[in-house]
Amino acid sequence: MSEKRALITGITGQDGSYLAELLLDKGYEVHGLIRRASTFNTHRIDHLYKDPHDHDVKLFLHHADLTDGTRLATLLARLRPHEVYHLAAQSHVRVSFDEPEFTGDVTGLATTRLLEAIRLTGIDTRFYQASSSEMFGATPPPQNEQTPFYPRSPYGAAKVYSYWMAKNYRESYDMFAVNGILFNHESPRRGETFVTRKISRAVARIATGQQKDVYLGNLEAARDWGYAKEYVEAMWLMLQADHPDDYVVATGTSYTVRDFARLAFEHVGLNWEDHVRFDDSYLRPAEVDNLIGDASKANSELGWAAKVHTPELAALMVDSDLRLLNGPRH
Amino acid sequence: MKQRTALITGVAGQDGVYLARLLRREGYRVLGTVLSIPDARPIIDVYLPDVEIVELDIRNSLGLGRLLDQHRPAEIYNLASWSSVGRSWSDPEQVTAVNGLAVLGMLEQVRNLRDLHGYDPRICQASSSEMFGLASEFPQTEGSPHHPRSPYAVSKSFAHHTCVNYRESYGLFISNAILFNHESPLRPQNFVTRKITSAAAAISLGEQESLKLGRVDIKRDWGAAADVVDAMYLMLRQESPDDFNICTGTSHSLTDFLELAFAAAGIADWESWVEFDSNLLRPVDVPETRGDPHKARSQLSWKNHQSFEDVVTAMVAVDHRRLRTGLQHDPQYLAG
Repeated sequence: MSEKRALITGITGQDGSYLAELLLDKGYEVHGLIRRASTFNTHRIDHLYKDPHDHDVKLFLHHADLTDGTRLATLLARLRPHEVYHLAAQSHVRVSFDEPEFTGDVTGLATTRLLEAIRLTGIDTRFYQASSSEMFGATPPPQNEQTPFYPRSPYGAAKVYSYWMAKNYRESYDMFAVNGILFNHESPRRGETFVTRKISRAVARIATGQQKDVYLGNLEAARDWGYAKEYVEAMWLMLQADHPDDYVVATGTSYTVRDFARLAFEHVGLNWEDHVRFDDSYLRPAEVDNLIGDASKANSELGWAAKVHTPELAALMVDSDLRLLNGPRH
Repeated sequence: MKQRTALITGVAGQDGVYLARLLRREGYRVLGTVLSIPDARPIIDVYLPDVEIVELDIRNSLGLGRLLDQHRPAEIYNLASWSSVGRSWSDPEQVTAVNGLAVLGMLEQVRNLRDLHGYDPRICQASSSEMFGLASEFPQTEGSPHHPRSPYAVSKSFAHHTCVNYRESYGLFISNAILFNHESPLRPQNFVTRKITSAAAAISLGEQESLKLGRVDIKRDWGAAADVVDAMYLMLRQESPDDFNICTGTSHSLTDFLELAFAAAGIADWESWVEFDSNLLRPVDVPETRGDPHKARSQLSWKNHQSFEDVVTAMVAVDHRRLRTGLQHDPQYLAG
């Protein structure tokens, strides 16, 4: 065997693009699933992509939809990946209240389709499930791998479902399946409708005179925000361990949305209170008050620890958005 | 006063039959869904003469929405489910669609109808003790952590969380009935309990030579289906929605069940008739479930009328009669 092959679902997303970079750096052949659409949705990985006719190509994209179990089985049988990173999801919590069934199908049931496709094809592979701190929901912090789940959104319920399915395939079939319970993780590649990116982008536009205000929902929600680029390393480490297990990945600190806004505005010398407005349409029907992850298990067993904390994260996201506004990309 | 209407999904299942008859006795108009009328025909004809039957796959959430809009039942009991834990490994996707996503679809339909027309029914979801699975606490309370151990259990856990979420997010009246194992003479043969009672009856009549089983050391908190439906009914009479364990508080092993069933059939040495069959083993097992019934007893004033012994004995007696008369279904079989 010359090199390792990895399959990433959700490769066009924030985490998928960072993970693809990491794996390509490590010499992997990387395969990613993309959805067929009439618009291009690959901007996060365009800088990694080469014409497949070239030599030394290491990144391959395949059209596949997670609602099509047969397609997943066909692809798995053909690619025979050593590692499967299942990152694809309807990943927006507020949107999950508007599209609960779609979220249940894609964020929940699709995990079972993928696990079942692996089992049916009989390939020997390691499976990473992108679990989420939203599974803890209303359970008070700090949250670790033993904390009971109390999901507070269709997204949270679907992620709990997928967590248990991955664990069941491990316990029932001895599959190497792990759950990475990732607390919020952000980056300049975060989608623009997520609150951190929405803030950093607004700060850049306000600082350059292109916008006056930004509308936000609940400012009191407290989250453990880390840097996505570091979190994908934890994903990889989990699949290199001797035994499959579940790990919390977090910074161990918590900041409110208000804190994040204050940090982001302060970074460009502005006062957040002059620019933040309230819009109740961004409120969730049920809120998650506070998430603080205890990542001591990932630290002791995988040697992983967060280096970038929320204040630096807010600053680097604002800087990136300023660069995007000021000139050609990157 | 206008007659109240109740909808039972999965009305031709064991619990559906007991609940429909209870609601009829209480004066309700009862609507019931079945997946296939021809398949459910024997049950409908014998046990559900006064129930209005609708053929509906509950995965069809728009169809369910139309049914709700047309009849506006004051109470909905969601019993329709892929009910076999053992077979859930063979088709996890379908199990999830029926036990999980269909519940979400139903709640969305109810939410839409409430927001559009003010229709605000009370809903009882048949949740399951299998969610507790590899339990870390004994006995399990309503708040015990889940550790589901089968696709059946994972999908029931999803539905449970979803019901709590819709109650908390939108104020819908939804109560989870966390049902521990409950049996009756109406259990189908693919459940191990009924497999045992029918084998005990057949062996006592010289019509069967042996009984093949998988693990017999597992322990369950077994109650009676007739008692369980009382609790569901009471839950929708509370001032506010809540989740309740419906259980006895005592667990018995499958060997206890075997001993009782064979004794009821007049056979002293059950062990000499039972053969181990490794094909019947599941990928993983739930070693024991045992629930804490305190909340349902104190808040619902609910209690079990039938003991474990009563249920097993009645099942064997009915199977004995089935074999002697050839009559698979008879309303008399329901009397505890």
